[in-house]
Amino acid sequence: MSTTDISSEPSTDDGSEEPVPAPPARRFTTVWLTLAVVIGLALGYAAGFLTPFATTPGDDSVEAGFIRDMSTHHAQAVEMAMIMHTKAQDDQVASLAADIAITQQGQIGTMSAWLRDWRLDPTGSEPRMAWMPNSQGSLTNGLMPGMATPEQLDALRAATGVEAEKLFLDLMLTHHLGGIHMAEEVVDLTGNEDVDWLAGTMVASQQREIQAIQIIKSELPAG
Amino acid sequence: MSISTQGGPERRPSVVKPAAGAKPNSPGGGKPKGSGARPGGGKGPRKPVTPVKVAQQRSWGPILLFVAVGALAVGIIGYGAFAVIKGSESWEDRAAGIDGIVNYRETDPGMLTANHKSGPQTYKTNPPVGGDHNTAWQNCMGDVYDAPIANEHAVHSMEHGAVWITYKTGLPQDQIDKLAEKVQGNEFMLMSPVDGLSNNISLQAWGYQLKVDTADDDRIDSFIRALRVNATQEPNAGCSSGVTATGTTPREISTGS
Repeated sequence: MSTTDISSEPSTDDGSEEPVPAPPARRFTTVWLTLAVVIGLALGYAAGFLTPFATTPGDDSVEAGFIRDMSTHHAQAVEMAMIMHTKAQDDQVASLAADIAITQQGQIGTMSAWLRDWRLDPTGSEPRMAWMPNSQGSLTNGLMPGMATPEQLDALRAATGVEAEKLFLDLMLTHHLGGIHMAEEVVDLTGNEDVDWLAGTMVASQQREIQAIQIIKSELPAG
Repeated sequence: MSISTQGGPERRPSVVKPAAGAKPNSPGGGKPKGSGARPGGGKGPRKPVTPVKVAQQRSWGPILLFVAVGALAVGIIGYGAFAVIKGSESWEDRAAGIDGIVNYRETDPGMLTANHKSGPQTYKTNPPVGGDHNTAWQNCMGDVYDAPIANEHAVHSMEHGAVWITYKTGLPQDQIDKLAEKVQGNEFMLMSPVDGLSNNISLQAWGYQLKVDTADDDRIDSFIRALRVNATQEPNAGCSSGVTATGTTPREISTGS
């Protein structure tokens, strides 16, 4: 075995043509193979680089629209809950307000982290609610379904005692109904697992909270 | 020497070739291999064999296909990369691209201190874009204030990521309404009139300012888009639970602390 290998190489004197035809063929193969590997690696790298962008929701996607709008919707719930938390006399109302403020602020954090992961701005190029079909006319002075008006918020700030608690519960109930409506829509529309999951939990937990609100309201003293 | 090298031809082929290889080549190796290579006539018949080499040459069909598919893939993926890189331009770059914007983070970072101080503060710009400020922030839940507010609170709002739209006191109502439309219902936005403003409208975010003359200027939307929340100094800080009253004297929170 080894002798035959050896013999072929030193015998360049008589087989001068022998090595000549072999290398060109090999050179072609090597060049093309190298080129193919290099291009293949480059394409693979590029595809890997682009995949996160190609698979995450875009700026005008249903998911991005929902996240931006629901973050704003949530922010107002946090605002109302914080107003109430400082002056609630009823323990159940104080506890409900804390629950709403903490839960919804936490969800805002989750949603804004997703936007950042997707390399999207907190402010979108599309109008509010544009992601939702047949949502024309659902905005009133820039407010989405269920959101309290500046006048209602002023009234909540000014109110005291049971009056404030009842106003808060009413505003929160309306707010939740609007939020559930938006969350149910995105559950129908999205193919994104995370968005589907979070919106699903919003629907379920806010429905439970509406029941709690109705019970607390019925137990508050008249006044 | 010959024994050791013969024992390891595979390990040290370079040594084997000239030293040990030459000897067995001529007598022993001549039998199997020499039969084909030795006859000088072998050179003759070899030449006609070269057409095999021709057959080994490029077969243009597959090559063209390979090149075409490769070029197409490079084109598609290259365009995708271009779009991604262009689309993922940082908010700082987009802010820098707004005509007339002043970036005090670059030109005067020293004035952008962020200590909590009670009482009135002096600011280098009107309206301010940053600096020491009151413990309480101005509520910036899309609040549209119809009278001047305290700088000391508004600066705190901007520290939280708010964009503060200000307009010259006495601006026509239709212009005010157009601005209010961009603010209402949007947290991390607030708006108020300011006395003695050099232009009709001035937009502020932490460290940034843009002065424009009309509410129809499309740079207003670009400013909001680039800087709202993005300009925050405290990610995830909120805009509610702030001061909702107007008046340019800062309020002190009576927490007893």
